[in-house]
Amino acid sequence: MNLFRSEDHARRWPLFQPRSEQGFITLTDLAGFFGTETRRHMLDPDYLSAWFPRRAAERRAYLEQVGKATPFWLGTPDPEGGR
Amino acid sequence: MFHLIMRTLVETGRAPHYAEAARTLGLRVEDGRRLLHEVMQAYTIGWLHPDTDYIASFPPLNNLPTQYRVTVNGEQRWFAQCGFEATSVTWLFPGQTVRVDAPCLDCGEPIALQMRDGRIVGVDPPGVVGHLNYGFGPSRGRPPFL
Repeated sequence: MNLFRSEDHARRWPLFQPRSEQGFITLTDLAGFFGTETRRHMLDPDYLSAWFPRRAAERRAYLEQVGKATPFWLGTPDPEGGR
Repeated sequence: MFHLIMRTLVETGRAPHYAEAARTLGLRVEDGRRLLHEVMQAYTIGWLHPDTDYIASFPPLNNLPTQYRVTVNGEQRWFAQCGFEATSVTWLFPGQTVRVDAPCLDCGEPIALQMRDGRIVGVDPPGVVGHLNYGFGPSRGRPPFL
């Protein structure tokens, strides 16, 4: 989960996985993905019990919103089994 | 324990050892160690260094240095867990500008991102993108820290 200067830079990275062509995300979408409601409560004393459990559903909703509701992004089993 | 670790990371840039945390929480040292393991089991996106009781990663920050250096108020004390979590560090420093500097893994040239209260306020170069090399969760087939 890295930042690159551009998509071309990522593709030139020696460890780039061909399957990860679907792994690009704009900085704006990334900031949204990691800026959902639960993230705003990381300093709350009850974050682990009250907020962290909500994170998975929240992430899924955001990925659907930005058109990335795929096994690769959702972390669900991939029927194609690819890596 | 979770709150203490997060607050200590934010305030100092380092996670406490369980013995220090135990003292702060008024626990016996061994109870502190057990509680640390319970917290890390519950906080599934963080991890201890393998076969130790040392906190390696406590997202969005990392106790083990990464290439994602975080600067707040001119002080570079922190590291983000990864490039993605780097965009979440802003929520730990409300009202402040958080700067993330990292080398591009392709060319080594710098990447700089500045955020304030969740908003991107600066990025250099403008074409910076996020990239997920392995899918999340079971689709990944790789350890979570890669």
